[in-house]
Amino acid sequence: MLRFIAYEGGRLVLGLVGAAFLAAAVASAGHLRDGVFPFFVAWGERIGAFAALRFGDCAISGSPILTELSNRLPVTGELVVQGAVAALLIGVPVGFAFAFDGARRVAALLVRLFSAVPTFCLALALSYLATNQLHWHAQHDAEGWLYAPRFLLQPGGALLPVLTIGLAGAAAIQAALRRVAENIAEAPWRNQMRRMGLSRWEIEWNLCLPLFLGALLAHLGELAVALLSATAVAEWVFSLPGAADLFVKSIALQDWSAAGAVLFVFAGLTLAAAFAGRCTAQPLTSPFSLS
Amino acid sequence: MSAIGTGGIADSRVQDICRAIGWIGLGLVAVTVSLSDLLAAAPADATGIGPLLSPPSTAFQLGTDILGRDMLSETLHGLTATVRTALPASIIALSFGALAGFSAARMPAPLAFGLRWLADIFAALPTLLLAVLIVGLTARSWLGVAAGLAATPYGFVHAFDRARRDAYAAHAEYARATGLSRTALLRRDLVYEFRAVLSASAARALASVTIILSTLSFFGFGAEPPQRDLGLMIAASRPYFLHAWWTAAYPALALMTFILFARLAAGLEESEPP
Amino acid sequence: MNAPRRILEIRDLSVARGGKAALDSFSLALDAGETVLLLGEADSGKDELLEVLCRAGESGYAAGGTIAFGDGTAMPAGRRTVPPLRIAYLGNPFLAPLNPYASTVSQLARIVAQKQVAPASTGREELRAALDRFAAAPSLASLARKPRELRAAQLAWALLACALAQRPDLLIADQSFAGLDPTASQALAEALAEEQKHEGFALIYAAQGLLTAARLRGRTIVMRRGKVVEEGDFEKLAAGQCHAYTRTLFQALPCLSPPSARGAARAEPVLQVQGLVVQSRNRRDARDGITFELRRSASLALVGEEGSGRHALVQAMIGLSPLRSGRVALDQVDISLLSPRMASRLRRRIAFIAGAEEALDPRMTLWDVVDEPLRAHLRLPRAVVAGHRENALKRVGLFSHEGRTRVGALCAFDKRRLQVARAIVSAPILVIIDEPLRGLDAMAQTIMLELLVELRKQEGPAFLIVTADFRVARALADDVMVLKDRKLVERGSAAQILRAPKDAETRRLLSAAGPGWLYLPSFRAPQPDAAAVPGAPAETTFLPFQAGKML
Repeated sequence: MLRFIAYEGGRLVLGLVGAAFLAAAVASAGHLRDGVFPFFVAWGERIGAFAALRFGDCAISGSPILTELSNRLPVTGELVVQGAVAALLIGVPVGFAFAFDGARRVAALLVRLFSAVPTFCLALALSYLATNQLHWHAQHDAEGWLYAPRFLLQPGGALLPVLTIGLAGAAAIQAALRRVAENIAEAPWRNQMRRMGLSRWEIEWNLCLPLFLGALLAHLGELAVALLSATAVAEWVFSLPGAADLFVKSIALQDWSAAGAVLFVFAGLTLAAAFAGRCTAQPLTSPFSLS
Repeated sequence: MSAIGTGGIADSRVQDICRAIGWIGLGLVAVTVSLSDLLAAAPADATGIGPLLSPPSTAFQLGTDILGRDMLSETLHGLTATVRTALPASIIALSFGALAGFSAARMPAPLAFGLRWLADIFAALPTLLLAVLIVGLTARSWLGVAAGLAATPYGFVHAFDRARRDAYAAHAEYARATGLSRTALLRRDLVYEFRAVLSASAARALASVTIILSTLSFFGFGAEPPQRDLGLMIAASRPYFLHAWWTAAYPALALMTFILFARLAAGLEESEPP
Repeated sequence: MNAPRRILEIRDLSVARGGKAALDSFSLALDAGETVLLLGEADSGKDELLEVLCRAGESGYAAGGTIAFGDGTAMPAGRRTVPPLRIAYLGNPFLAPLNPYASTVSQLARIVAQKQVAPASTGREELRAALDRFAAAPSLASLARKPRELRAAQLAWALLACALAQRPDLLIADQSFAGLDPTASQALAEALAEEQKHEGFALIYAAQGLLTAARLRGRTIVMRRGKVVEEGDFEKLAAGQCHAYTRTLFQALPCLSPPSARGAARAEPVLQVQGLVVQSRNRRDARDGITFELRRSASLALVGEEGSGRHALVQAMIGLSPLRSGRVALDQVDISLLSPRMASRLRRRIAFIAGAEEALDPRMTLWDVVDEPLRAHLRLPRAVVAGHRENALKRVGLFSHEGRTRVGALCAFDKRRLQVARAIVSAPILVIIDEPLRGLDAMAQTIMLELLVELRKQEGPAFLIVTADFRVARALADDVMVLKDRKLVERGSAAQILRAPKDAETRRLLSAAGPGWLYLPSFRAPQPDAAAVPGAPAETTFLPFQAGKML
């Protein structure tokens, strides 16, 4: 296990280094028009600046990028966490319900149907339902809408964005669960253990459940990417001042420093999630033990 | 896991039916797109054809939008623009993704794992934001390329891992012990693995890039008027779709139908991400 | 004297699977302390019978007939019941009996606790007590590892201890010792027999091969395609007093009489090994180099158990692993002088027939497996390839199979025959055969040996056999080298070694190859054998060395 953690830790460090180089390259993108050599010089300078945590100022607000990020990251973080909870609450029961035998193929069709809906269409559809069917109060602003239902006191009307992110994440969760279910369903040891005297419930609860948990953890990196993508869409559709919104606007305004910084943060989050997930999944899903 | 299923006969029949529906659907979309100018009652972006924001009726089956454009014609033209951008984008995604991953797995270990490391870094970025970055660095006219490249890392990593596993499987060791050359082993993988999954990978890539480029257009990084694809149409309907649902619903439906056909054509294998 | 307690009574049990009759009108009465051996091929209905007995109505199969457990009343076989006696199931370590992702001891202790309706800690203690009864069994602490980390023999002992810890009235063993090294299989069978004598449980053993059945002996039921062919005492059936099908089945019985003397052919050498030292994991021990020569049409068996170094030796001989010292010439070409590419070209003249499941690519089709050597190495036209393929598939009995069938969908026997067909078309000068009978039932083992003997007769390659089983060595090899701990402990002709083994390891392996009563003069079973050289001395009766004394 120690060897595994060391290997994964090495992968994480290499990934973070690579992400830092990529972010510095993005931050130096403005120098591309000057030529290849000036770009590489600027890139080297940026790497040094990033190492000293000097990211520059944000073109949108004029404040330092670190300050801007520290204001916006909590919004994104809250959305991602709440979205992850919603994704688990929706995706895990659905994944289990459709995990076995005949239900699996039906579920596969339904999942294909559901995953054909782009996240922004889902967000708009939820907005439409909330306004026209549930009669939630909608506020317009210059860029979009903020939905704050009268009877809910959620700051910023985060329910719809959270639901949007949750549904997008649920698709990734239940796909991972059904993949494990397909492998387990045909495993010979299930029948062998039934013959040896264990009940179906004992096998599913004590022996199969850890495998499902392990699968979820092992795919934590992919899940993080799916949630971040969905969060970016949700921030845009619902005009929430998060880090993804900052990234999109920075690209539009060609503020490469801010874009690079956000990119590094997102890549770091995903890599860290993948590392944590693989390490915690290892004892559950590896056929070889910790020692 | 390869495309060879381990399910029963009924299982593979369901798979085949779904794939057939998917490919037939894509074929119908292709025919519709190629005949869009004939099928559409009005040319693209022709304003003032009918009353403003008129709901679906016998005169305008899908209604009209804020500028009096016929929604049916606009949806057809939007679908054409989307499909015409998605096709080359999916070829890029396939070439730099699955194909490149398959080839990289057979390179010398340092080069192979170096490329895998690079792909891992790009795969750690949300696909959508990566696409936005590429469009921002290049130009809006590079929308298709951006969508294709953004979908690449994921496909590369999966194809690489699968190819690496197959190349060093026990049966490959036995084959090498009896003098089977690298070329012959590569041929095995090309025939059994890659050819079998190529169509599924292509369809999957098509679905992924369509979602990416429609989202890019929705964000405003995609096609510019007068050329309007489905994402841009949906974005343009935002100010009034709450009371004129048809202005967003039909383009969204057309988009989702195309993506659904592509997903079905990719098959129902659980081993691949949707 | 009290009559033995009735444990099980089955009347007219019929099982349908997928709409077809898998078992037809099976009846059995079993008393405490009695052993019943079920013999038959894969589709004989044994599996369905065990499934019904173990799952007691939960299996989901459509079942007719009645089953009475112990003193209980006879209940319809398809009805879910809780048997009023303890039934333990003993699986095979090669058939994934446990979850590979959880620790072995936790799973086994849970099973014991469940059966005894006791807490998990009690299950662990019972398991520990059962393991302590056997010197060869692993310790409880070592079972904290996952099943894939244990050797097959260790897992087999753990499964046996788990079954015995349940204090069963009826123990159902499903080819439990098949595929293990003969010495491990012998020890396990002896332990099981001893425990049965001591504890008095009834035993139903579904046998794959005949070796364990020969060790356990007892009432034998021969089954074929769901029906009982005949029933009788094992020794009587093995002696030939039986149905024609049973007689064919019993051809797989081990025979260790020295083979007919074969002519010392002076064909060209195929493999020349001089002073070969095999790489060892710890690299500390000094090794004596191994020297031998293998000529065309000759055959050599490397006999030794897991860890003896036989596989490492083969890998070094064919250039797949580096030579620590020594020289190896393949087809009279020193392989150390060749580039990897040239060495690969030379290895085209080698064919592999392995008992491992993963020897063939599961994605390939049946036809492609046979065609590949011809297309890849010789680039022959399609029509010629098709002709060779047809001939090879006919010879191994796979011609009627659909050519587009994937290897992954074939059974073990078909895969093994497919390897023989591939070997036929590649016209090898050397065939390396690694445990060719592993995982095959008795009938398939007989056919497999016949095919290999036929291959050698027709194509004339040299055979290099890697096995732990002297039965295989006897059937296929002229000469034998016995290995232990990566050292050569004895070598000689097969006849000489079988007649008078010198080394203790050789004697140990020989005694594990079959129980002594099989070799009594009254007992003979026909065996496939290479053609005897005219004028050679007649086959002599052989009484093997067993447990330090002659029988």
